[in-house]
Amino acid sequence: MTAKVKTIERKGGTFLEQLYLVEVVKGMVVTFGHFFRNLMDNSLLYVRHYPEVKPEITPRWRGRHRLTKREDGTMKCVACFMCQTNCPSNCIMIEAGERTDGVTEKMPVKFNIDLLECIYCGYCVEACPLDAIRMDTGIFSVTSYTRESMMIGLDDLLDTPPGFTEDEYKKGGC
Amino acid sequence: MSALDILLIVVRIAFGAFVPLCFVAVLVWMERRGAGFFQDRSGPNRCHVMGFRAAGLIQNIADAVKLIFKEDIVPGHIKHKFYFILAPTLVFITAILSFAVVPFADTLILGENSYVMQAIPTDVGILWFLAVVGFGVYGIILAGWSSHNKYGVLGGLRAAAQVISYEIPMGLALVSLLAVYSTVNLSEMAQIQGQLLFGFIPMWGVVLQPLGVVIFIVAAFAETNRTPFDLAEGESEIVAGFHVEYSSMKFALFFMGEYVAMFVSSALIVTLYFGSYQIPWFSTEALVNNIKPVALLLIVAMPVAAYYFTLWMKKNNRSHYDRPDDPRVREAKVYAAVLWSLVAILEVIMIGFLIFSVGESGSRILVALLQMGCFLFKTFLMCFVYVWVRWTLPRFRYDQLQKLGWQKLLPLALLNIFITSAVVVSLG
Repeated sequence: MTAKVKTIERKGGTFLEQLYLVEVVKGMVVTFGHFFRNLMDNSLLYVRHYPEVKPEITPRWRGRHRLTKREDGTMKCVACFMCQTNCPSNCIMIEAGERTDGVTEKMPVKFNIDLLECIYCGYCVEACPLDAIRMDTGIFSVTSYTRESMMIGLDDLLDTPPGFTEDEYKKGGC
Repeated sequence: MSALDILLIVVRIAFGAFVPLCFVAVLVWMERRGAGFFQDRSGPNRCHVMGFRAAGLIQNIADAVKLIFKEDIVPGHIKHKFYFILAPTLVFITAILSFAVVPFADTLILGENSYVMQAIPTDVGILWFLAVVGFGVYGIILAGWSSHNKYGVLGGLRAAAQVISYEIPMGLALVSLLAVYSTVNLSEMAQIQGQLLFGFIPMWGVVLQPLGVVIFIVAAFAETNRTPFDLAEGESEIVAGFHVEYSSMKFALFFMGEYVAMFVSSALIVTLYFGSYQIPWFSTEALVNNIKPVALLLIVAMPVAAYYFTLWMKKNNRSHYDRPDDPRVREAKVYAAVLWSLVAILEVIMIGFLIFSVGESGSRILVALLQMGCFLFKTFLMCFVYVWVRWTLPRFRYDQLQKLGWQKLLPLALLNIFITSAVVVSLG
């Protein structure tokens, strides 16, 4: 079998191109076109005015985590430690306790996620057998002034509303 | 020395010292916003004082404050602290000094006295410029060497090799220019460029020396270490090059020196090749003799220009998203008010000038002001070309740079000298 050889035509060898100047002027005309267009009307810039105008996030985006609830309002999590075991960056810290609402036997008493450690890989979501943890909040900008506030607890995770409808989320491939 | 003499000395030195410094702010702004617009971005436009962003100029103040309050570090491994601190000052001082011989208006004749409008009214002109600019590279070499850092030394070496190789084509391009003008005095060169060639083309250097202007501009780009010849600070290879060990105001001096050098070399390109302060087709004498129509034209032109500028500003100075009581629209209204009041003040002055007709001296001062404006405008455009080229062309490879300098520009410059001298001799 002979190797496929593709000969690529070398450009830039003609006299006019060797002069540089002609090509330089051509390039400068192109860039000036952009400059002039934007100078005359700066609404044509390809820019999103970010903090005020947010980008659209797809349902598949792995945003900040949340804990889901059953239809009766009790939490789905049964503190099976699957997510914590599976987490490659060890950012989930669960403390299990006895379940008091009578649904099953076990529930988390503490469910802390260190967002500074988290690498947003989504393994916790994949590992969860009960679909109790999801990353569908659509929160992509996780910032804070203190380290302590980057550690979110059970209440925060339960209270965060989903960023998308159930249909959109399912369509995203989960 | 009369009071007038002293006043004019102060005015000229102030112009020579403060205009380059003011242009640093303008150029940094132009570089950033220009880069943005060339790449379909917006550039820095958020910094503001009480909601006034001045089109992004406030960003410069923020940067200056940052640089001033940064810690000024002299790294512990540096043995020659004196040279380490001398280097940035050398770069900055030579850049400012080289502007001192550039004339910014025609020789001002007030009564019996005449004043050459340069910061240093000397005859050496272009020689002074070459000497001082050539000295500036010592600062860069010194910075690289005294940093005691491999990147620094490499950056300094590259800068030195580059400046030396491009000084030769630059000097040779100037030789043919000197053959045409037969003077080294920049003021006289500017006066020669006020004449007309064949009665209808302004006799600018670019018309007399079309090849020379290309060589000179390319060499000037290399001299100021600007893209496409900015190998002295090749980010990917040698980090920041010669100023890698510098911080705070010492870095700021390098930074400002670079922009002052860019301003000065644009000013020199304008002086040598683009008619200096001369307004095309209107020589100084013609303007002085017809000062009333000129003043009348200005009275009409100023409001028209202000009107279109306000339209443009109101169209562009607004937020491009829903915002209650848009502060940018309010900002534009304030700018418009300031602009129109400025125009009104100028109109009153011009009308007063027309009615009371201040005489020969008054009209000469008005013409000098017009020429200063023309000079600054041309220089501004030339600086824009610098920015424009920077955001268009990629960097040359080092061997390509030297090849271009020695194998292309040098023979071309020599050829240019032969052609020019042949023409000059044959025309007598």
